[in-house]
Amino acid sequence: MKRSWPWLLALVLLSSVAFAMGSYQNDVYRKLLLWITLALGYNFLFGIAGQVAFSHFSFYGLGAYSVVIGITYLGWPLPLAILVSAVFCMAVALLVAIPATRLEGFYLALATLAFAQLFIVLLNEGGQVTGGTGGLANYRLPDMAGFRITGPAYTVVIVVLMLSTLAILLRLDRSHFGRACRAARDNPEAAAAMGVDVRRTRILAYTLTSTLAGLAGMVYAFVDNTVNPTIFGLENVFLLLFMIIIGGIGRAAGAVVGAVLLYLLPFVLSPLIGHHHALVFGLVMVLVVLFQPKGLMGVWDALMARRSQAVNSHADKDAKVQTHG
Amino acid sequence: MNDFLELVVGATASGCIYALVALAYLLITRPTGIINFAVGEWAMMAAFAGVVMLNQWDWPYPLGMGVMVAMMFVVGWLTERLTVRPLVESGAPPLAPILALLGMLVVFREAISIGFGPDPQAVPAAFGFGRLEWGLLAGSYQSFFIIACTVSVFAMAWYFFERTLHGKSFEAVAIDRRAAAWMGIHLGRVTAVSFAMGAAVAGLAGVLAAPNVSAHYLMGMPLAIQGFTALVIGGVGRVEGALLGGLILAFAEQMTVRYAPVPPGLAMGVPLVLLILFLLVRPTGLLPAREGRT
Repeated sequence: MKRSWPWLLALVLLSSVAFAMGSYQNDVYRKLLLWITLALGYNFLFGIAGQVAFSHFSFYGLGAYSVVIGITYLGWPLPLAILVSAVFCMAVALLVAIPATRLEGFYLALATLAFAQLFIVLLNEGGQVTGGTGGLANYRLPDMAGFRITGPAYTVVIVVLMLSTLAILLRLDRSHFGRACRAARDNPEAAAAMGVDVRRTRILAYTLTSTLAGLAGMVYAFVDNTVNPTIFGLENVFLLLFMIIIGGIGRAAGAVVGAVLLYLLPFVLSPLIGHHHALVFGLVMVLVVLFQPKGLMGVWDALMARRSQAVNSHADKDAKVQTHG
Repeated sequence: MNDFLELVVGATASGCIYALVALAYLLITRPTGIINFAVGEWAMMAAFAGVVMLNQWDWPYPLGMGVMVAMMFVVGWLTERLTVRPLVESGAPPLAPILALLGMLVVFREAISIGFGPDPQAVPAAFGFGRLEWGLLAGSYQSFFIIACTVSVFAMAWYFFERTLHGKSFEAVAIDRRAAAWMGIHLGRVTAVSFAMGAAVAGLAGVLAAPNVSAHYLMGMPLAIQGFTALVIGGVGRVEGALLGGLILAFAEQMTVRYAPVPPGLAMGVPLVLLILFLLVRPTGLLPAREGRT
């Protein structure tokens, strides 16, 4: 990367915030960062590669569960557990992607929805290995070389995860692969005619974003130090979908804005409307699809365009005044 | 043997529910190409309409049923008017209506959960909770009532599509939208009616299923998943496919629960595995759609 200082600055800024906050705020902040990470990956899969997949949280869960099972049930050291879990997530993603990306239109949505539900059924019925409906608890992040990473230090780990996800996805978006993804989304036939291997592009996009979700899941496993099936169900996929649509589909900035807004809004809204913020989100999402398909980023673009127009027309006027004067 | 025959009646009844939900999907998907995941929530809303009209107001069953179907017809029509038509008219990408309907799914569900609270509520069965023995077959009154209702709905659907001009216009739109429009078929009306009929059929499924499972604001999603599984098994192109798919799904499910040596929780995975298998091996379903004749 040629210009790495903005990333370093972001790392320092986002990390230092964690040290200024108490443990409750740190918990909220960590989950916010994880939601942003997930929204970024989902935005690439759904917004840029155009795949309506409902399996994103299943891979988040797969990562979380497999790393925990690795260190507790199998008694592996953490680095090995992380490595094996990452490979496992990638292998499962590939296994789902190879047949699923062959499906056209909403059939991919059905297949991934079935996969997501099946994942929950398997978690519930996993007996001792997955802990059934109660999930797994009573574990913690193993010490690394004698150090115990806790408190704000662990938040820094999540900041690094979020920033590297962002860096990878931005880089990919601007590369040949990103353009191939957009082409395969907008017009598969034309993309194929231009020499894009549509199926390979789709499989790669699905596997990559799902593996990134798995990595985020591994980090999540040590945020609450408990994993259970309800976290990884369909409800949260809907929320993720709402985030990127309200923020602005297909744009990383939109995913960040959507995730921040929809994650933090319930904290503001709950004194007013209790736990019914899902109704508000649903309504807003329908209104966004109907009236502002580009989401909040579209609103931002329109504002910017109007401002620059205003500046230009002022400049024109000034120029005219000067010529007349 | 008696045990098996009882299972046959029960499985047929739940297969009929799945078939009705599949038919609701099909009525909408076939002419419009839109998959509407909110059909499950429509069934749930109708079940709560059943709670209010049949339980709280104590209306006679046929009256409550009639009002419920009319109400769902309006709900489906309004959903199409407010969320689908503006998108189709503005030339939005085909995914946009599907997303808008996903948003509506959450809106319907949360609205009901605010209105009725999170507790399951009882819906009366058509003829009470009795047991009917009819020759070798035995089952609850409700099971037989579900089967009778479903058979008549499918007969009506068959008659509509095969014997009436309106039904033919649906099929024409499904085969070729543009050609159908050139032939003078009003595309907007076909879409509106398909949503309205879909909602009415989904509502019927909800009210029929409710006495056994109780009306609950989360009952929609499982029904929606079972419905599209039935749809994929049978094939999205044909009305008979929905019925066939529903029955196959219900029998596969109940046979596993009854005879296979797996815990009941894992048996919940059967329809999902079946769905994945069908999507992989035969995504067009068992009964292929009709093609345009040349």
